[in-house]
Amino acid sequence: MRLKATNIEHFYGHEKILHGIDLEIEPSKITAIIGESGSGKTTLLAILSSLLKPTNGDVYYDDISENSIKDINAFRRKNIGFVFQFHYLIEYLTLKENIALGAFDEHNINTLMENLGIGHLANRYSNEVSGGERQRAAIARALVNKPSFVFADEPTGNLDTKNAVGVFELFKSFNDTTFVVATHDKKIIDYADVIIEMEDGVVKCISKKRV
Amino acid sequence: MITPLKALRKNWFKTLLIFISMTVSISAIFLISAISSGVVGMYSTMLKTDGDIIVTQKGIADTFFSDINRSLEPKIINLAGVKELNSMIFGASPVDNLPIVAIYGVSANRLDNYKLISGIYPKNDEVLVGEKIYKMLNSPKKIKISKQEFKVSGVFKSKIGFEDGGVVMGLNDASKIFHKNASMMLISLEDIEAKDMVEKINNLSDDIEAKTTDNFIDNYNQFKIIKTSSDIISALAFLMGILGIISMMSMVVNDRKVEFGVMRSVGLSSTAIISRLIAEAIIISLFAYIAAIALSYIVLEVIQNIQKFQGYINGEITPQLAILVFVISIIMAIFGSLLPAIWASRIDPMSLILGGSK
Ligand SMILES: Nc1ncnc2c1ncn2[C@@H]1O[C@H](COP(=O)(O)OP(=O)(O)OP(=O)(O)O)[C@@H](O)[C@H]1O
Ligand SMILES: [Mg+2]
Repeated sequence: MRLKATNIEHFYGHEKILHGIDLEIEPSKITAIIGESGSGKTTLLAILSSLLKPTNGDVYYDDISENSIKDINAFRRKNIGFVFQFHYLIEYLTLKENIALGAFDEHNINTLMENLGIGHLANRYSNEVSGGERQRAAIARALVNKPSFVFADEPTGNLDTKNAVGVFELFKSFNDTTFVVATHDKKIIDYADVIIEMEDGVVKCISKKRV
Repeated sequence: MITPLKALRKNWFKTLLIFISMTVSISAIFLISAISSGVVGMYSTMLKTDGDIIVTQKGIADTFFSDINRSLEPKIINLAGVKELNSMIFGASPVDNLPIVAIYGVSANRLDNYKLISGIYPKNDEVLVGEKIYKMLNSPKKIKISKQEFKVSGVFKSKIGFEDGGVVMGLNDASKIFHKNASMMLISLEDIEAKDMVEKINNLSDDIEAKTTDNFIDNYNQFKIIKTSSDIISALAFLMGILGIISMMSMVVNDRKVEFGVMRSVGLSSTAIISRLIAEAIIISLFAYIAAIALSYIVLEVIQNIQKFQGYINGEITPQLAILVFVISIIMAIFGSLLPAIWASRIDPMSLILGGSK
């Protein structure tokens, strides 16, 4: 599925955060969004993923405007996974229940958790596991329906190099999924096919990796 | 079903607040309905036991004020189909140190409606007292009603609180105290439609008004007032309950913005989120309902045993009332949680999350 954004502007209150962004995200690739803290990465990811309505501008999935999608919840459930900057697991649910929240099929949850190295923690609650384990559960929650898009906001912020690399190897193994990842992590940038650099709410440059 | 329980336990403090406010509103509905229907019910039973038709003064607001002439008695008795006629005076007066007591002046043939537990039925200048008032006045030999002394000839017992706390005397004695012939006539019939008889009796005089007992009870002003006020108070309690749930559910939703944002972000439908919240509210309302029944039973029991009320307040939670209030509780839960739930299901997921994580 292709993703395109045109002339995206966003205000928080009176403060303009995004100043007219035009983007096309390449399908089935990993795109990294980099930029200083406060440059608008999280805001852009939320808009691209339909979690936030931009003040102005449009987002298109396969040339269909987000605004014209009738059942946005169903669309999101099928096509979009989101890894939040701060995991946001629901505290009264176990890790497995968190991952199962929007899952169509609960059978592959165990395998997914194994792949992320948290298989043994299925029945723990989020306050009973480490920050990195929480983050991996949040990643599993985003991947569980093998969506067309996964938007990940600093997914490796709490992970050591070994686990961070593991996460990106896992991303690579989802061949049909488009990943858009906001990150500071230099090692991770190497995994990206496309790098979008943001500065003060505008796209400063887009660079593609030559193969 | 497990998930809502987990959520409720996690937010136990707000859950407790909602539970308490619901319990209070549901109990209020229970109590006011039970007590008002208890009062109306007691009075209705009393009237229904001896008469298909009730005759009072025409256009009177309350039987206490009714004054009818007994000279009509023979005319009515002579109508075909009339089995029995009892005139009755129905009044209230201070008795000894009690400020107000119900007084029943009844004809001699109606006295045996009162079940004696001691003594004999009263003759002139004698009275029968209800068990409750007998105890309250410490087993008196004589009582003083409106400056006149009466000998207590016997004590009767009645399930009807009004009667048990009242005094029964001959129609003539009551007539002297209340300066009237009779308050009403209770007529029982044989083999004739009450409606037809009502018409015949009404044709006899312009000063009286005959009604079937059922019709009388349905239209009796005092009952209407009691019933209407109880309905209004119930409605207010219901409204308070709904408003309480709305405001507390809004607080709950506000506390849980991130949670609902996450649910929306993984694509759970609005319906799924709304039904989660409603399920939680319904669970609380079920517990509140049970607690309210228990509480109401205790309160009714206590009220009935308070001497001061002389048994006038009597309430029962009938199965119909229990079912009605159950339905009301569920409606309360659904409507109370609907607004906040709809709000949570409409707003952008990321706005919920950003707004909630600050
Ligand atoms: N809910 C909000 N209300 C008001 N301002 C906000 C809100 N969220 C973010 N901002 C502001 O918008 C700007 C962009 O924020 P955003 O979170 O998109 O940045 P970011 O690039 O993800 O930063 P970081 O790398 O620190 O996560 C910042 O200046 C931030 O202060
Ligand atoms: Mg960010």
